Amino acid sequence: MTPLPPAGELATLLAHGVGSRHDLPVSPFYAFAGAFAALLVSFLGLGLLWSRSRLTGEAAGRPLPAAVQRCADARATTLALRALGLAAYLTLLAHLLLGPDDPARNPAPAAVYALFWAGLVPLSLLCGPLWRRLNPLRTLHLLGRALLRRPEPDRVPPASLGLWPAALGLAAFTWLELASPAPASRAALLTFLGAYTVLQLAAAARWGEAWFARGDAFEAYAGLLARLSPFGRRADGRLVVRNPLDGLDATERVPGLAATLCVLLGSTAYDGLSGTAGWTGTLQTSPLGRTPTATLGLLAVIGVTGAVYALCTAATRVRGAGAAFAHSLVPVALGYLVAHYFTLFTTEAPHAVALALGAGPGPVPEPPLEPGALAGLQVCAVVTGHVLGVVAAHDRAVRLQPPERAVSGQIPLLVLMITYTLGGLGLLVA
Amino acid sequence: MNRARAARTAALAAVLLLAAGCGGRPTTHHKPGTSHEEATAGAGRLLAEKDAAGHRYRELPPGQDPSVRLAARPDSEDGWNLHLTLGRFRLTPDSTGSGAVPGRGHARLLVDGKETARLYGTWHHLPAAGLPGPGPHRLTVRLHADDHTVWVRDGRPVQATHTLGEETGEKSGERTAPPARTVELTVAGGRVTPPVGRTEVNRGDRVTLKVRSDRDDTLHVHGYDKAKKLTAGRTATLTFTADRTGLFEVETHGAHLVLTQLLVR
Repeated sequence: MTPLPPAGELATLLAHGVGSRHDLPVSPFYAFAGAFAALLVSFLGLGLLWSRSRLTGEAAGRPLPAAVQRCADARATTLALRALGLAAYLTLLAHLLLGPDDPARNPAPAAVYALFWAGLVPLSLLCGPLWRRLNPLRTLHLLGRALLRRPEPDRVPPASLGLWPAALGLAAFTWLELASPAPASRAALLTFLGAYTVLQLAAAARWGEAWFARGDAFEAYAGLLARLSPFGRRADGRLVVRNPLDGLDATERVPGLAATLCVLLGSTAYDGLSGTAGWTGTLQTSPLGRTPTATLGLLAVIGVTGAVYALCTAATRVRGAGAAFAHSLVPVALGYLVAHYFTLFTTEAPHAVALALGAGPGPVPEPPLEPGALAGLQVCAVVTGHVLGVVAAHDRAVRLQPPERAVSGQIPLLVLMITYTLGGLGLLVA
Repeated sequence: MNRARAARTAALAAVLLLAAGCGGRPTTHHKPGTSHEEATAGAGRLLAEKDAAGHRYRELPPGQDPSVRLAARPDSEDGWNLHLTLGRFRLTPDSTGSGAVPGRGHARLLVDGKETARLYGTWHHLPAAGLPGPGPHRLTVRLHADDHTVWVRDGRPVQATHTLGEETGEKSGERTAPPARTVELTVAGGRVTPPVGRTEVNRGDRVTLKVRSDRDDTLHVHGYDKAKKLTAGRTATLTFTADRTGLFEVETHGAHLVLTQLLVR
C-alpha cells in the first residue's frame, strides 16, 4: 500500500471541505412514509386548524425566573461570552495562519464547516439567539471603536437593505463550501475570513453596531434559526419560554428575508444534489470546467427555489405575500439543515475539538446513529419542518385574509411547501 | 507441621529474601515457588479434569464470577480482529507462570478446539492464514489462571465462542472469506469508463478495484483511506474489506476524478 497523498491535495477533494463519508441514501420506504405524512398533515391542517389567528408573536411567552434573567443580563455574562467568542475566533485564525495545510491535521476546516456552520443550528435551537452575544465581529468592532476613541455613528443601516447583505453573505459562504475548488485549504479559508471580517467591520464603522443583526450573514442566519427556539425575548425584554411558533411569528418582515431563506434552502438542496453520482459525473465531464459548472449548479438550485417561492406566493393574491409568508420557510430550511448536517456535525465537530486540543491525527469518530435510525431522523426532520411551516403559514393566512378566502388562498402555499418537502425527500433518497 | 520445620522454612525464606535484596541474579526465569507445577493452595479448588492441551481445571472460589465475551469483525486488509470484553477479570501477562489468583490470568484462543494463541490484551488480530482452510470456524476464548489452569465454574470452563463465516448470512458457510466484488474502471483522457455510478456492496464484503489509468496517478478510497499508486497503462488492483457503512468516493488524486461511489450498506 502506498502512503496517502501529500497534505494539501486532500484539501481540494472533499465535498464539504471536510467529511469523507456521505450519509447513505434513505430507503424509499422511509421517504414515501414521510411524503405521505406530509401530504396528509397539510390537507388535514387546511380543514381542521383554527380559523382565527392564534399566534401572538412577540407578546407571547411565560417569563423565566428573575434569577435566570439577572444572570443572563449580567455584565459578567456579556463579557464572558464576548471573550469566549473572540478567543475562538483568534484560535481559528492562528490555526489557519500557522497550522498545516491538511484538514486531517489542522482543526480549522472542520471547525469552520462542522463546529461553527453546522453547530449554529443546535446552538440557536437550544439557546435562542446566543450567537449575537458570542459574535467576535461585534467584539472586534467595539474594541476598535474603544481603541480609536471613535463614537458610535448615529446612522442606522438603511431599511431597504434589510437582510439582503445576509443573503449575499450566505450565498458566498455556501459557494465556498460547496462549489469552490479547494474549500478546506488554508488559503481559501483565510481569504474568506479576512475579506468577510474587513467588509463587516467597514460596514459597522459606517452604520454602527446595529449593522450586525441583519448585515452579518451568520448572525442573521443564527437569529432566524433561533426563532424556533423555545427560549427568546419578549417585546418588553423579558426572557421567556414560549411556543416556537410564536417566536417564528415574531420574525421581522424585512426586505430580503425570503431571499435569505431561499439561499439557505437552495444551497442545502445543492449539497444533497452534489452527492449524487449523476451530478458528480456532470461536474467532471462538463466542458465549462468544474468550478464554473458547480457555481452555475448552485445558482440554478437557489434560483429554482426562489422562483417556486415567488410563483406560489404571487398565486395567493395577498398584497405583499412574498414577505408575509417568508417566515414559514424557516422551519422548512431547518428540517433540510438537520437532515443534511447531522452526521457532519456529530462526527467532524468532536474531531475538530480533539485536534485543537492537541490530539494527533486520528480517525474521525463513527456516526452516532445506525443507518436506519439516521434515515428516520432525516425524514422526521424534513416532515416536522414541513408541518411547522404549514401551521405558521396557515396562521398568517387567516390573519391576512377574510375568512371566506383564507382556505382557498392557502392552497398555493400548500403547493409550495409540498414541492419543497418532496424535493428535500427526493434528494435524501438520491 | 512441627515447630522445627516451621523455623527452617522461615530461615530459608529470610535467606531467599536477602539474596533477592542483594541483587542476586535469578538463574532461571522461574522465581522460587513458580514452576509450571500448579500451585495447590489458595485460589479455588484444583480439579482432576484437564482440557485438550493438558491444563487442569480450577474451580473458581465462591463469590468470584469472571465473564468473557468475544466479538470478531473482518479486518479491512486481512483476517479478523477479535475483541474480548472481560468482566471482573484482569489480564496479568507480567505474572504468567506464578500462582493462581482469582480474577486474574490470561485468555487463550482456540480455533476449532485447537489452542492457537495466548491473549494478553483485549484485542487480537487473527490472520486469514491462521485459519485451517475454508469453512466456518469456531473460535473459543477461555480464561486461564496465571499457573495455566483453566478457570471453571460448576465444572465448565469460563469461555466465549464465536463462529466465523456465519454472520455474513451465507446458508452453507462453505467459505470464511466474505463475498467478493470486483469493479473495473478505466481512466483515459480525463474520462472515466464506465461513467460515474454507484457500486453497492454489503458491509463486510471484499471489494477489489481494478483501475487502469492513462497517466501516473494515485487511487484513493475516501473514508477507508486506502491509496494505491497507478502507473500509466498498467492495471492496479486494490482489495479491501468494506467494513464501514456509508457512501464513499473512490478518486484519483492527480486528475481529481471521482471513479465511482462506493455505497456500503
